[in-house]
This record gives sequence, C-alpha cells and structure tokens, in this order.
Amino acid sequence: MATTTPTAKPAPAHEHGHEAHGRELAHHFESAQQQKETATLGMWVFLVTEIMLFGGIFMAYIVYRWAFPDVWAEAAHHLNTPLGAVNTVVLLVSSLTVALAVNAAEEGNRRRLLTMLGITLLLGATFLVIKGFEYSEKFAHCAGAADPVAWVTGGARLEERECLVPGRNFVFPEAHGAEGSKGAGAAHGAEAGHAQPQAGLGSPYQLFYFLYFVATGLHAVHMVIGLTIVSVLTFIAWRGVITPTYYTPIEVGGLYWHLIDIIWVFLFPLFYLVH
Amino acid sequence: MAKTSTTAAHGARDAHDAHTEHAGHAHISRGTYYKVFAALMVLMALTVGAWWIEGMIALPRLLGVTIAMAIAIAKTTLIILYFMHVKVSERATQLYAGAAFVGFAIMVIITMADYFARGWPPPPGPLP
Amino acid sequence: MATTALPQRGYLHDDTPDLGRWIRSWLFTVDHKRIAILYLLSINFFFLLGGLAATFVRIELITPQGDLMSSDVYNRMFTLHGVIMIFFFLIPAIPAVLGNFLMPLMLGARDLAFPRLNLLSWYLYMFGGIFALSAAVLGGVDTGWTFYTPFSSTYSNSNVILTITGAFIMGFSSIATAVNFIATTHKMRAPGLTWFRLPLFVWAMYATSLVIVLATPVVGIALLLVAIERLWGVGIFDPALGGDPLLFQHLFWFYSHPAVYIMILPAFGVISELISTFSRKRIFGYEFIAFSSMAIAILGFLVWGHHMFVSSQSVYSSLVFSFITMLIAIPSAIKVFNWTATLYKGSISYRTPMLYALGFIGLFVIGGLTGIFLGVVAIDIHVTDTYFVVAHFHYVMVGGTIMAYLGGIHFWWPKMTGRMYNEIWGGISALIIFVGFNMTFFPQFVLGYMGMPRRYHVYPEEFQILHVLSSAGATVLAVGFIIPIIYLMLSLKTGRIAGDNPWDATGLEWKTTSPPPTHNFEAIPVVTTEAYAYPPEAAARDAAEWRPGSPL
Repeated sequence: MATTTPTAKPAPAHEHGHEAHGRELAHHFESAQQQKETATLGMWVFLVTEIMLFGGIFMAYIVYRWAFPDVWAEAAHHLNTPLGAVNTVVLLVSSLTVALAVNAAEEGNRRRLLTMLGITLLLGATFLVIKGFEYSEKFAHCAGAADPVAWVTGGARLEERECLVPGRNFVFPEAHGAEGSKGAGAAHGAEAGHAQPQAGLGSPYQLFYFLYFVATGLHAVHMVIGLTIVSVLTFIAWRGVITPTYYTPIEVGGLYWHLIDIIWVFLFPLFYLVH
Repeated sequence: MAKTSTTAAHGARDAHDAHTEHAGHAHISRGTYYKVFAALMVLMALTVGAWWIEGMIALPRLLGVTIAMAIAIAKTTLIILYFMHVKVSERATQLYAGAAFVGFAIMVIITMADYFARGWPPPPGPLP
Repeated sequence: MATTALPQRGYLHDDTPDLGRWIRSWLFTVDHKRIAILYLLSINFFFLLGGLAATFVRIELITPQGDLMSSDVYNRMFTLHGVIMIFFFLIPAIPAVLGNFLMPLMLGARDLAFPRLNLLSWYLYMFGGIFALSAAVLGGVDTGWTFYTPFSSTYSNSNVILTITGAFIMGFSSIATAVNFIATTHKMRAPGLTWFRLPLFVWAMYATSLVIVLATPVVGIALLLVAIERLWGVGIFDPALGGDPLLFQHLFWFYSHPAVYIMILPAFGVISELISTFSRKRIFGYEFIAFSSMAIAILGFLVWGHHMFVSSQSVYSSLVFSFITMLIAIPSAIKVFNWTATLYKGSISYRTPMLYALGFIGLFVIGGLTGIFLGVVAIDIHVTDTYFVVAHFHYVMVGGTIMAYLGGIHFWWPKMTGRMYNEIWGGISALIIFVGFNMTFFPQFVLGYMGMPRRYHVYPEEFQILHVLSSAGATVLAVGFIIPIIYLMLSLKTGRIAGDNPWDATGLEWKTTSPPPTHNFEAIPVVTTEAYAYPPEAAARDAAEWRPGSPL
C-alpha cells in the first residue's frame, strides 16, 4: 500500500490498479490491517449498545426480584429448566464453532470455515426450535392443553388451570406447600404466600413472566439477526471472498454471535435457576 | 497556522506493509479455544449443580444468586477474552468492552440505592 | 488565496446531466459531506415543524383562558414540540450536520470509518421521522416528551406507540453516527495527528459519541417496554401488578440526562473553534477543555435523579444526585473560564460566528447557573414543573446549542458551499435572535418562580403580562430564525467565492478547497504542530494591521 497513495494526482483515480491490494480494501483505509482493526472496534462499540439495551431489562429484573423474592422463586419453578440448560449448552458450543470458524478463516481453510459456520447455523436453529417449543408449551397450557402436541391434536387436557402468558387470562397455579410470604410481598399475595391478589390488583407473577417473555423474546430476535448474519457469512465464504488477509466479516459477525451467547449465559440462571 | 506537508502515503507512520501476512497482532490458538470450551462446560456443570444442591439444602437467597452470577461472570469473561479475542485486541477495544459493564454497573448501583433507601414496595394497606 | 470560481471537482459538483442519476447520486451517496447536507436539510425541516408547534403554544399562552385549543390539544402540541425538537433536532443537529461534514476533514481522513453506515444513519433518521410525523398527523400524543408511566403505558388514548417507534428508530440513527465517530477518531487520524493535537471539536464529538453509545439503548428499552405494555395490556410499570412507575423514570432519565450533554457537548466543541479563530489566539488551557469534555460525559451519567426530586425518589438518593449535580458545574465552568482567557488579549473580530459564540457564553452561563439552582433539592421542590425549569432548559438548549449550531453553520458555510454569506444580514439576525431569545425566555424565569406551572395553558390573570412579553419575544425569535434560511440560500447563488481559508483559521479542514473534493484531500496531510497553532504575537499583530477588508 505504501506506494499507492498518489501525491499530486486526484485521489479517487484508480491508476494503481487492483493488483496492489485486494478488492475488498475500501479506499478510505490505508491498509487491510487498519480496516480490520477499525471494523472490530466499530463492532465492539455497537456491542456496548446491545449490552446497555439488555442492561435495561436486567435492571427491571433486579428491582423486582429484590422486591418480590418469593414470587420470583415460585414463578421460576414453572419454567422448563432442562430445556433451558440444553439451550445454554447449545449456545456455548456454537460460540466454540464460531471461534473455530474465525480461526479457520485466518488460516485460509475454506472447508473448515464453511463447516464451522454451518454447524453454528444448525445450533442456532436448534436453539430457536427449543425456545419455540418452550413458548408453545406456555401457550398450550393457556389453551388448556397438556402440551403443544396435544394442543394441535386435541389430546390430553391440563388438569389444573394454568396460564403463564401475561394478560387478561393469566392464572398462576395454586402453590403446593406454599411458603409463607414475607412482608414485602404480602401486598400483592394476600394470605398464604400464593397467587391470589388483592381486590383490584393483578397477579404479581405476571411481572416475572412479562420480563421472561420480553427478555427471551428480545434475545430470540437477536438470534434471528445473528442467524441471518451467519448465513450471509456462509454465503460469502462459499463464494471465496474470505482470505487470510481479509476475514474481517467473519471476525466481526462472530463478535455479534458471542454477545448473543453471553446474554443467554445470564438469562439462563436469572430466569430458570431461582430458588 | 499548522504546518503540513504533502507526502507519499504513510510518511510519519511505520513502514509496515499491509501485504505481509499476520499483520502484527497476537494469535489465539485452536488449542486454547478447546481449553476455554472445556472450562465453559465445567462452569455450566457447576451452574446446574449449584442450583440442584440449593434445591435440597436451605441456602440464603443472596448467597445462591451470588454464586450463580459469579459463575455466569466467569463464563462471560472467558468468552470475551478468548472467543472474542479481547485479550489480544488493541487497547481501545478493551476499553469499550469494559466500558459497557461499567455503564451497566452505574445504572444498577445508583438505581438500587434509591430502591433500598425508599422503602419500596410499600407495605400493604388495611383493606383486604 | 483568491479564486474566481468554485473548484471543479468539489463534492457538490456533478457531471450527471440526468435528473434521475443526480437524485440517485445524492440518495445513495456514501460521501460524508453529502450526507451532512442531507441531514442539514432534513434537520431544518424538523426544526421548522417543532417551531410551528411552539408557535401555537405561545399563541395560546397570550391569554389566560384556554381559548385557542382545548387541554387535550394543548397537551399534544407541547408534546409534539418537545419530541420533535429533542429527538429530531437537538440530538442530531451538530453531530449529524457539522460532525459528519467536519470529522474526516479535521482528522485528515478521506471519509468516516463506515461510510455506508453513515448513509444508513440518515435513512434511519428519516424513517424515524416518518413515524413521528405520522403520529402528529394522526392526532399527536399527549404524554409529554417524557412519556411518564402509567399514563403513557395505560391511560393515554393517543398515538404513543407510533411516536415511541419514531424515537426508537432515531436512537439507532444516533448510535450509528456515534459508532462511526469513535472508530474514525481512534483509527483514522492523519500521520502526526496525536490525540492532543486534535481540534477541540473532535474531542467534543468523541465525548458526545461515548455518551450516545452508553445512554441511548437504555431509553430504547424503556420506551420499548412502554410500547409492549400498551400493546399487550400488561406491563412492569403497572402498580396493580406490583410494578413501579418510577422504574420507568429511572430508565428514562438514565438516558435523558446524558442526552442533554449529547446536546451541549458538541456545542462546546463548536464554541472552542469559534473563540479561537475569532480571537486569533490559541485556545487557553487546551488539555483542560479536552479533559473537561470527558469529565462531563462521565459525570453526566451519575446525576439523572435530579429530574426526580419530587417523584417519591428517596431523599438520600436525591441528596447524592444533588451533590454530584453541583460537581458537574465545575468542568463546564472550566470551559467558560478558558474561553474567556482565550479572549483576553485576543484580536476580537465580531463576525457573525463570533456573535453567536459570545452570545452562547452569556446565555449558557445563565442557563447553567439556573441548572445549579434547580440542582438544589430545596429550591427544586418549589420550582420543579414550573416555567423556571422551562426557562432553564431553553437557555441551555436554545441559547446554548442552537446558538452554537448557527455559529458553526455560518463559520463552516464557506467550507461547505464555497460561498460567503452576507455578513450584514448575518449580524442582524444574530442580534435579532439574541434579543428575541431573551425576551421570550427571561420572563419565564420570573413566571416559574411566581408559580406558573409548565404544560398548562390556563393560568391566573396576574401572569398574563409576562406571557404576553414572552410570546412577543417568540415572534422576534422566529423572525431571527427565518432570516438566515433566506440569506444562506441566496448565498449559494450570489455569495462571494470564499476560497480555501476565508477566516485564516487553523485546522486541517481549511487546508483543502472550499468546497472540498469528494475525497477530501489531494494527499493526506502530515501534522507536525499543535492545534490552534497561531504564532504568539498573531493576535497583537493582526489587531495592529487590521484594515477594512481584512479576512477578519
């Protein structure tokens, strides 16, 4: 690059020709190294905004868990913890495959790059499928069915009324062996620390489930965006755009994916593992 | 007025030629990625294990959530430093990675200070 | 250097005779300078819209009765004014117009780090603007720009979700600009341009970008939660479920207080440039001004509770917030002292940009000091939600930011367009704005102190004289804002050709042609001196040698 910036000639003219640097080097940069470092920094600055975005949800979570610890513990019980744990492992593995993809790109191993990106896509899709199943469990219970399959086929009904999707039909099932409610929570869970709210008030368990759906929903939206990004990366890798000197898109897209994983690493214990 | 002079390309910059491969920065090996992954799996087992044990013994809630968050923070740190290459990134990138969590911490600490000091939620009224 | 025509290869110049191609060359541009002009036009449009809403508000307030509009319509009118002015004018103005145009030039770069992201930020701005406009056309929103819950989330019957969507999208536009500025400043400085040789405008933009990146997402999520609560009928701000409406206020003000620094820090940056150039002197205390920008950016995150003193926030929190609010005055004062020291023994030139800069210093001091009064809990309890607050923030936002914006537009107009504006009209409108502004807003301090609440259109008879004074001032102010639009547009055809450096100023942007070529510099400059490197005797010598017709 050192010889290609003209001195007296107007800058945009392409006299130096494309053999002096890869086509992917944008003209306002002076080197591929600078372009990659700039892109990485830019993506990290964007990730800061994503962290603060979810930070707002975590802020709300912290406030309400601190205020209503019993409500939280009871509510968390009704989430599908095994599926949540599986999803966490799925995402952690996908972070590994993404890191290996970047590594493969760095080393110029196109086959390994494509394989790793493909596995990442599969894992991401698996995550969404499992999440979709979890959500449909909730919706099925609201409709009175025992599980999503029964909901569709008109099979087994749920014995006890339960609807954990916040809204007009929200019903939190009777607590078995209810814990005594502590003073702070008693305003909204009258007698024996379980769901029935005071007259004119709604069920406080909705706070938990609202945050659950919003947090995991927003996370799922980011997963979809992440999958789109990884698909695009797979495509351009397949087209041969990625070389050992130019693997910036993989690195930068990978950063986004890792962030989605990190957010889930916090969501899982906060929503599923509450006592 | 500032003196400037025209120059061919980099001038005062280093003579680094962008076409030499592995342009300077350190590298995280595949072996390291596998080791980090193994650590993440161990931490995941700890996460679930701790939860399982807390379901059986009566641990104070604050301790339980502290343990869970500590493990989550450990996982996150590993992912950020190694998978996201922050350990070998330039200083500006590291600064921004840290700044996000500092910003989050400020928001949480100051807001919770208000909640602690406020006496919220309010105690229940006399009506049933 | 005297020239008789605009440079042929300026970024404004186009060889395309075809209208379609010309439009596409602007709408699909990735040139930061063209994007800045796109922003200039759209931001001015929203400014006029917000001004129209203000006009209706001030007309209504001439009489103590609610004769022009009902309470409901009045609520929608001041909300429109606030939402448009804050989200669609003040937050983007200086960064998106002046910042976009100048940052690469000041850094000696050919463009920002991510040119296509830059174009996307403009499209996001327009897209958000369309939502806000639709909300306005469909009847507006009546919650106030602050969208407090549970009114906004549960009880309001207006277009809350539409407006929130507009603000949310605009947030992304803001973030895109900030990402670009941060990456460009770190990675694309010209050879020899170390951090402490940067113009203070760049430091200001950098600090602003840091604030944008940390704060904007939080208001995004706060507003998103309100929108979800409206859509779903359930939400976490609903007291009936155990929710806390104050949580919204914490999340909202966590952004909205730093937002005021997003509005004022770029203005500080502009003022530093203007004061230095028009005193023909190096800025006094360069490092202090640079560090004070960063200090304001950081401290700004610690004081949001001073908007919540009467909201049932705990007294202890309020006191801590109050204390830290006092501390923020210090870096701001440091800047004012340094500007004043720069003026001392400078060769002062009273061109239009300098008129705005001097006006800024006076008005910002008043606005800032009244902010300190408001930061004292005991005083705030008396004057909160009165016109005292309204006067305070208009002093800093209009007397501060808008004055700096206009000063910057005039200062860099020759660079952006290659033409000089008419200096006489420039001076006249600056004076009209100054007089009109004070006439509008100074009475509001008195009104507020006497107890006139904000957001009310019906008021006791005894307040009328002050309101009439204020509305009369608003008329003068409006005239003052319209005049520059006219002479600036006329200058495009009839203005004197400016040449590369009509102000004889320092800074890399003055080293290239006016307007600059698309790729900014024929060759990337190498920087070997500090910023504002006027020779020490420049001021004295220029003052002694001044003749009518000198550059300054």
